[in-house]
Amino acid sequence: MKQHLGRQSGVQKVEVSLLDGKVDVTPKEDGQIDPVQLLKATYDSGVTVAEMDVTARGKIVKDSSGNFALEVGPSRSFLFAPNELSQGLESIANSQTVVTLRGQLYKKPAGKKKPDTSIPLKLLVLEVQKKE
Amino acid sequence: MNIRKLSLLVLLGSALAIPLAQAQITHVDMRVEGMT
Repeated sequence: MKQHLGRQSGVQKVEVSLLDGKVDVTPKEDGQIDPVQLLKATYDSGVTVAEMDVTARGKIVKDSSGNFALEVGPSRSFLFAPNELSQGLESIANSQTVVTLRGQLYKKPAGKKKPDTSIPLKLLVLEVQKKE
Repeated sequence: MNIRKLSLLVLLGSALAIPLAQAQITHVDMRVEGMT
């Protein structure tokens, strides 16, 4: 699995802890890393992803439908799964403020093994680390 | 005149480019099942 994930675009380093079933992925600074591809690659390597958390830096944007998202690249953003923390960020939407936050991007639904990658991943904000 | 315009463009471009360059995923961690 380590080699399989290491071959994914935008991945710099992969660390696997067999004891607690944790996989740490350090992205390259090129911004090419794609969490959906990581989910697929992990599944293809024969293990099931129970949960995926990301730490990301970007701007809060509001789309034409009124949904809020974290823009982490020129063509990549994650819609928020609304909670108290994400609602607290709505006031800085479409501003120049850059936020760093940690959030859950995927959690395996009960009884399912294969991740459903046809549904866009939503970011559940767990912690707002920095606003600058 | 052209140099002044060019300098302004460079200044504006770098002001816009810096926040975009800062935007990125800095870390991903996964909890997996079925690993041996």
